[in-house]
Amino acid sequence: MQPEDKYLLKRTRRHLFRECGFGIGKAALASLMTDKLLAQVNGKHHASKVDRVIFLFMAGAPTQLELFDYKPELVKWDGKTTPESFLKGKRFAFMDTFAKEPPKLLGTRRTFKQAGGNGMWFSDLVPHLSTVADDIAMVHGVSTENFNHGPAKLFTNTGSVRTGRPSIGSWVTYGIGSESKNLPGFVVLQSGPRGPRGGAALWGSGFLPSSYQGVPFRSAGDPILDLSNPEGVDAEQQRRTLETIRDLNKMELEETGDAEISTRIDQYEMAYRMQTSGPELIDFKQESKETLEMYGAEPGKASYANNCLLARRLVERGVRFVQLYHTDWDHHDDITKPLDRVCGEVDRPTAALIKDLKQRGLLDRTLVVWSGEFGRTPMGEVREKGKIGRNHHIDAFSLFMAGGGVKPGAVVGGTDEFGFSPTGGHINVHDIQATILHLLGIDHLKLTYRFQGRDFRLTDVAGNVVKPLLS
Amino acid sequence: MRHAICLIFVAAAYAQAPADIEFFDKEIRPLLRTNCQGCHSVNSLNSGLAMDSRDAIIKGGNRGAAAVAGDANSLLLQAVRQDGGLKMPPGRKLAPEQIAKLEDWVKRGLPVPQEFVAAKRRKSTHWAFQPVKRPEAAGVDELVQKKLKEKNLTPSPEADRVTLIRRVSLDLVGLPPTRQEVADFVADSRPDAYERLVDRLLASPHYGERQTRHWLDLARFADSDGYTIDAPRDIFPYRDWVLRALNDDMPFDQFTIEQFAGDLLPNATNDQIIATGFHRNTPSNYEGGIDFEQYRVEAVADRVQTTGAVWLGLTLGCARCHDHKYDPISQKEHYQLFAFLNNVDEVDKEADRKFFNKPFLELGSPEQVAALAKWDAAVQDVEFRIRKHQETLTQDADKDPKLIELRAELNTLRKNKPQVQRTLVMRELAKPREHYIHLGGDFTRKGSAVQPAVPAVFPPMKNPNAVPNRLDLAKWLVDKDNPVTARVTMNRIWQQYFGKGIVETENDFGLMGDRPTQPELLDWLASEFMAGGWKMKRMHKLIVMSATYRQASQARQDVTAVDPYNKFLARQNRLRLDAEIIRDSALTVTGLLSEKLGGPSVYPPIPKGANDVTQVKREWKVSEGEDKYRRGMYTFFQRSAAHPGLITFDAPDSTVTCTRRVRSNTPLQALILLNDDAYFEFAGALAKRVIQEGADKDDAGKLTLAWQQVLQRKPKASESQRMLAFLTAQRDAQKVKSEQAAWTAVGRVLLNLDEFMTRE
Repeated sequence: MQPEDKYLLKRTRRHLFRECGFGIGKAALASLMTDKLLAQVNGKHHASKVDRVIFLFMAGAPTQLELFDYKPELVKWDGKTTPESFLKGKRFAFMDTFAKEPPKLLGTRRTFKQAGGNGMWFSDLVPHLSTVADDIAMVHGVSTENFNHGPAKLFTNTGSVRTGRPSIGSWVTYGIGSESKNLPGFVVLQSGPRGPRGGAALWGSGFLPSSYQGVPFRSAGDPILDLSNPEGVDAEQQRRTLETIRDLNKMELEETGDAEISTRIDQYEMAYRMQTSGPELIDFKQESKETLEMYGAEPGKASYANNCLLARRLVERGVRFVQLYHTDWDHHDDITKPLDRVCGEVDRPTAALIKDLKQRGLLDRTLVVWSGEFGRTPMGEVREKGKIGRNHHIDAFSLFMAGGGVKPGAVVGGTDEFGFSPTGGHINVHDIQATILHLLGIDHLKLTYRFQGRDFRLTDVAGNVVKPLLS
Repeated sequence: MRHAICLIFVAAAYAQAPADIEFFDKEIRPLLRTNCQGCHSVNSLNSGLAMDSRDAIIKGGNRGAAAVAGDANSLLLQAVRQDGGLKMPPGRKLAPEQIAKLEDWVKRGLPVPQEFVAAKRRKSTHWAFQPVKRPEAAGVDELVQKKLKEKNLTPSPEADRVTLIRRVSLDLVGLPPTRQEVADFVADSRPDAYERLVDRLLASPHYGERQTRHWLDLARFADSDGYTIDAPRDIFPYRDWVLRALNDDMPFDQFTIEQFAGDLLPNATNDQIIATGFHRNTPSNYEGGIDFEQYRVEAVADRVQTTGAVWLGLTLGCARCHDHKYDPISQKEHYQLFAFLNNVDEVDKEADRKFFNKPFLELGSPEQVAALAKWDAAVQDVEFRIRKHQETLTQDADKDPKLIELRAELNTLRKNKPQVQRTLVMRELAKPREHYIHLGGDFTRKGSAVQPAVPAVFPPMKNPNAVPNRLDLAKWLVDKDNPVTARVTMNRIWQQYFGKGIVETENDFGLMGDRPTQPELLDWLASEFMAGGWKMKRMHKLIVMSATYRQASQARQDVTAVDPYNKFLARQNRLRLDAEIIRDSALTVTGLLSEKLGGPSVYPPIPKGANDVTQVKREWKVSEGEDKYRRGMYTFFQRSAAHPGLITFDAPDSTVTCTRRVRSNTPLQALILLNDDAYFEFAGALAKRVIQEGADKDDAGKLTLAWQQVLQRKPKASESQRMLAFLTAQRDAQKVKSEQAAWTAVGRVLLNLDEFMTRE
C-alpha cells in the first residue's frame, strides 16, 4: 500500500472518495480482498455485465483446425506444397526448417459436425462442447504477436511479450477489487504434466503492488502455501495466538498512531478466515454425485476436471478472477493420440462448467474464456517419420467465450479457405483483453498505472472491444 | 564533406530571389505552421524531425532527409501525396493545391528567408537539467528546518535510545542489535556515544551486505536466466564484487565506471571485468524456435532504460518507440545511447545457440576452463533431451521412468560441475554492430543510422574517443558537470532512511516527475557528495547523524493536519522492513544467523510445492549446515519461481530495475510468519534460548528476556500481562506438559508483531 493511501484510509471514506475521485485502483486498497461496496462504487467505468471471470488457458496452443475451424478446402489440398503467397510476409517458429523442406498443407483427419442454432462447427474430439454451442460465442481468426510459447503466453496475460507487466487478473483486482472476504481475489489453478512456460510471470503483478498477484492454489496438500497451522498447533491454539497478536498490535497502534498497524490487524484476520474457509473450499463432499459425474471430477485427484469444479466453487464464493492452466497442447509431432488424450481431459469438464454455472444461475454474471496462446499452422510438421503434427501459428486461431454480455451462439470472425489468415476485420489478443475488461465494467483505456514515467495499460497502445461478441 | 555540402545549400539559400522568399512567406510558411510544426518542431521532435528550419528539413528525422532541393520524390512530398507508406498529416490529406505549392517549393530549391535557415537549438529550463547549485547551509538539519518553519511546523524530539539503536542498526547493517549492544549504548553517557555507534556499524561488513541488497534491486540481479527455461546462471561473483566495493567504500564514480566499462579500462583486472556483470543481469531467452536477435535487442533496450532510471532519473524507455512525450529526449537520442551498449559480444543468431549467455569471464586455469565448457555442453544436451521428452508426456511427469532417469543424469552432472567459477560479463565485439533507429520500437524496421552520443539536453562528453564507447559513457555519467547523477543517487540514499526521496518519483526527474520537496537540500547533498570525492559511507553517516533522521516517529495530529504525507519530515516514518531483513532479523534474534559473507547463493527451506509452477522443474535442494541460515540476500533467486518469503514481502521480481520497493500488507504475509515451517523453527529456537538464558527467572523475567531479544526493549506492564495470560492458557490447554512448546507459542506471537517487522 502506498503511504498516501494509508493516510487516506485513516480518514473517512467520504474523504477517500472525494480526494481520489473515481480514479481507479487508488482506493482499491492494497489487499487481496476488498470491500464489496468500495469495489462497486469505485472501480467501474460503466455498468458491468459480469462480476467475475474464469479464464481457461490451454497452454501449448490447441490446434483450431482439429477442433473448431473447419476447412474442407484444406482437406482437398492435403499433402500439397503450401502456395508461396500464403507464407509471404509471415513469421513462424522453427522457420529454419522450411529451407530444407517446403512445408506441405495438412487437412484434418477429424470429422466435423455443426451444432446449435447458428451451425457452429465442432470436431469429434469435442462432443461435449458441441452440446453448449448455443451458450458460447466462437471467435475465429484471432491473431497474436509472438510465435514462441513463453512470450506469447505473457502477451495473452499481460499485453506484452516482455516479463515485468501486470497480468490481466492483477489489473482486474487492482481496478475493481474482489468480493470475497475469505479468499484471494485472483486465484490460479494448474493441471497437466508440467507447469506452463513463463511460470509465475503469467500471473504476476508486474509493477502493481504484489498484493494483486495471482495466488496459485495447489491441487495437493495446502491449497495455498502455509495455509495450515504448523504441526502440533491445533485450531484452538491458533485462535489464541491470533488474538494475542491482535491485542498486542492494538497496543502498538495506540502508542504510534500508525494506520498501517490497523491494516496489519485486518490482514491477520483475513489470513485466519482464509485458513478456516480454505479446507471447506476444496471439500467436494458437499457436491452431489451427479455434479461430480458431470465434470468427471474425483475428489482428491489433481485434474483439470477437479479444477473446473473448484473454479465454480471459487466464483460462488466471490473470487473475482480464476485462471486455470492446462498444459500439453503443443502437438508438433503428433496430432493423433496425444490430441485425443488432452481433448478427453478438457472437453467434458469445460462443457460441464458452463452447464453447471448456467443451471445455478451463475453464468449470467460470470465470463468464461477458453483460449490458448496462439493456434497451429495449416501446414503439417514432420519431426518423426510416420507422424505428423502442426507448428505454431499466430495469425488466425480460435477461442470461445460464454457468460453475461456475450452473445450466445455467435460465430465471430473467420479465416481464409486454408486457415492462414483472418477474413474480414482483424481481431487481436489486445481486442480480447479490451472485451474482457469491458464486460467487467472497465474501460481498457482508463485502467492505467504510472510506472517509469508512463501510464501503462493492459492493452498497451492497442485494443478495441469486439462488438459482434456482445449481446 | 557533409559540412561542405551544407554550406553550399546555405549559400544557395542566401542567394534566393525576393520572389521566392515572398512565395515562401505567403504560401509555404503558414502551410508548415498549421500542418507540420505541431508535431515536428525543435521542441517536439516527433520521429526526430523538425519542420521549422531549412537545415532541419534537409537533415530530416528518423527516416532520413524530409526534402532534397529539386527532388520531386522527396519524402515530404510522398508523405503529403500519401502515395507511399507514410501518410501525412495523420488522419487527413492536404488539398491538391496545397500539395502543388509544396511541390513547387521543393522544385524551386527550398527557398527560405535568412531567419528560417538555421536549426534552432533546444534549451530546457526544467530544474533537473540545470547545474547543481550549492546553497549556503551548515547541513541537512538547517535546510529541513527552514522548510518546516515555512510550513509552521516544529520537528519532533529525538527518539529514545533503544529505538535509535534499533533503527540505525536495521538501516545500516540490516540486523537488529543484540541485548548487549543495546545495554551498552543505553549506558554510554559519552557525548559522542551515537557517533561511535554509527562508526561501528559503518565499519561492519554487514554494512556492505545491506547496501549491496539495495544495489542488487537496481541491477535486477537474479541467479537464473528468466523467461521459459530459467536455468541457473553464473553471476554471484558480480554480487560479491558489489559487496567488496561497498565495504571498501569505493567512490561512486569509480563504482559506476567499473560496472559500466571495467573491461575497457587499461590493463583491466579480473575484478574490474567481473564488475561489468551489472548490465548482464538482464533475463535471457533461448527457448526453441526464437529469434535470438530479438531478445538481444530487448536486453540492450533494458540496459538503456536501467541506465536512465538509475543514473539519470529519466524514463528513457519512453523514447524507444517514439520521441519522449514530455522530456527533451528524442527517439534518435534513445538509439544513440543504445549504440553505446549495442556492441557486446552476445548471441544474436540461431547458429550460435550453444554459446548462449556468452560472454563469460572464466576464473580458472585453461584446463579447468576447457572442462567447464565440456560440462556445459553435456548439461545443455540433457536439458534439451528432458524438454523434448517432456513434450511427449501426457501423464504425471513425476512418475515417468525415462524422465526420472534423465533428471538423475542431470543431477549427477550438476553435482560434478567442474570446480571453476565463471561469471557473466561485458566484452566488446571486435567489429561494432550497425546502430540504427528502430521505427516504432521494432528492430526489424530500420530507420536512419546513428552513432553513440549523449542527449543534447545534457553537457557534452569531455574528450571522448573518435567513436565514443561505453567507457566514455560511464565517465560522462559521473562527470561533475552532469546535473542529474549526484542528485538522483543522493535522492535514493535519502529514500533508504525516510521511505521516500526528496523527489518522490525517484526514477523520474523529468517533466512528469514530482518536484523536490526540499530542492535546496537535494542540491546541498549532491554537491557535498561530489565534493567529498563521491564517497558513500560519508554521506550515509551525514544523514543518519542528522537530527532529522534521529526524530521520533510517533504520529502527530498537528503534523498530519498540515502535512498528511509527512513530506517535510517533522517526524521520522515507520517503515516495514524489507523481505530479506524480516527473515534476517528473525535469524538474528533467535541466534541462528550465519554471518558468512559472499559465495555461491544458497537454498534455505521453501514451502512444499512453492517451485512446481514452472515449465522446467528446478530442484530446490535445501542447503545444509550454516547455509540454511544465511542472510536473505544470498537466497538463490529463481526468476520464474522466486522464494515465496521474498516475493510475498515485495522483493522485486528482478526482471527490470527496481528503484523503490513497494511495501504491501497482505494476508499471505501473515500466513508465512504464522505458519511457515521455517518461522515455526525460529520460534522454537527462541523458546530454547529464553528457557536456557532465563533458567533462574520466573515467567515475567523470561518474558522480559524474550521481549528484549526480539524487540530490544522491555515489555510494558499491559503487554506483559496480556502475554502472561496467553502463556497460562497455553499451558492449561496442553495435554503433554512442555515448557518448550509453551514458549514456542510465545515466540510465535512475538515474531508476528507489527513492531517486529517494522523500523520505528
